[in-house]
Amino acid sequence: MTDETAPESTTHFGYQTVPEAEKAGRVRGVFSSVASRYDVMNDLMSGGIHRLWKDAMMDWLAPRPGQRLLDVAGGTGDIAFRFLRRAGDATATVLDLTTPMLEEGRKRAEAEALSDRLDWVTGDAMALPFDDASFDVYTISFGIRNVTRPEVALSEAFRVLRPGGRLMVLEFSRVPVPMLQKAYDLYSFNVIPRMGQAVTGDRDSYQYLVESIRRFPDQETFLAMVRAAGFGNAAYRNLSMGVACLHSGWKL
Amino acid sequence: MNMERSAEPHDPAPSHDPQAQEQTPAFDRRMLEFLVCPETHAPLSYDAERQELVSRAAHLAYPIRGGIPVMLADEARQLD
Repeated sequence: MTDETAPESTTHFGYQTVPEAEKAGRVRGVFSSVASRYDVMNDLMSGGIHRLWKDAMMDWLAPRPGQRLLDVAGGTGDIAFRFLRRAGDATATVLDLTTPMLEEGRKRAEAEALSDRLDWVTGDAMALPFDDASFDVYTISFGIRNVTRPEVALSEAFRVLRPGGRLMVLEFSRVPVPMLQKAYDLYSFNVIPRMGQAVTGDRDSYQYLVESIRRFPDQETFLAMVRAAGFGNAAYRNLSMGVACLHSGWKL
Repeated sequence: MNMERSAEPHDPAPSHDPQAQEQTPAFDRRMLEFLVCPETHAPLSYDAERQELVSRAAHLAYPIRGGIPVMLADEARQLD
């Protein structure tokens, strides 16, 4: 057996199958393309509900003064800002694969006078540029389904957390009621790409977003992945009947 | 679509625009305390002139763009 004859390993990009090595570049393309209108689109697509989900994330996370947060795929800073406002005296590092998303976030941080408690780093969730045991909290919000190998991102999260550190993942998930899932699918596949076209002029990127949501593992499957990465006391909470889901785990 | 910009009366010539004169944020050296090479987890050294973070262990120089370190091996410059 030689490497030349081995089939190229592939992954999914929405509903397309692409070589694993290509996925990150394609994801970067999507977010570079929509960066400046990303927050507006999130509001439109979810009717503002993503804000409630992020608040629910903070309620469960209960940020405390002095904590150090790593927010991965944190582009425009939504999660980091919420965390800092709730924690009081804390610091946050925002990491994203796409520099234009971070630039957008940095502008907003200046506007909200949070700059001196924030750092911005372009990087890959699967190869974090941080030492072991560096952070108290690791968050990833609507980002992990874009990672080529989510299980690698989870073990990197485990590595950079301090003992006693907390993981929290916010991601789209599955509605356990078939009728409701059907209605949600109709909305997603028919409305969201058109909205994306209208607001950002980029229909394909939003088509990708919708497809990638359907490809992502359901609640129980992802819970098993969180446990497999080493996290203890792992649990999840459905939001909006499972349209989104919060996963929590501890580095014990 | 650009309604939110109406707070600024009208665009002056770029050279008179305080926004345009504002320098891009500089790299914050304190970040060296916690950043490591994503490939080797070895410490990095800061090359202010080239705006790079150098990983001798990996023979890679990571670019800093507009004050933001780009810690991706495929964006890094290969060192001999």
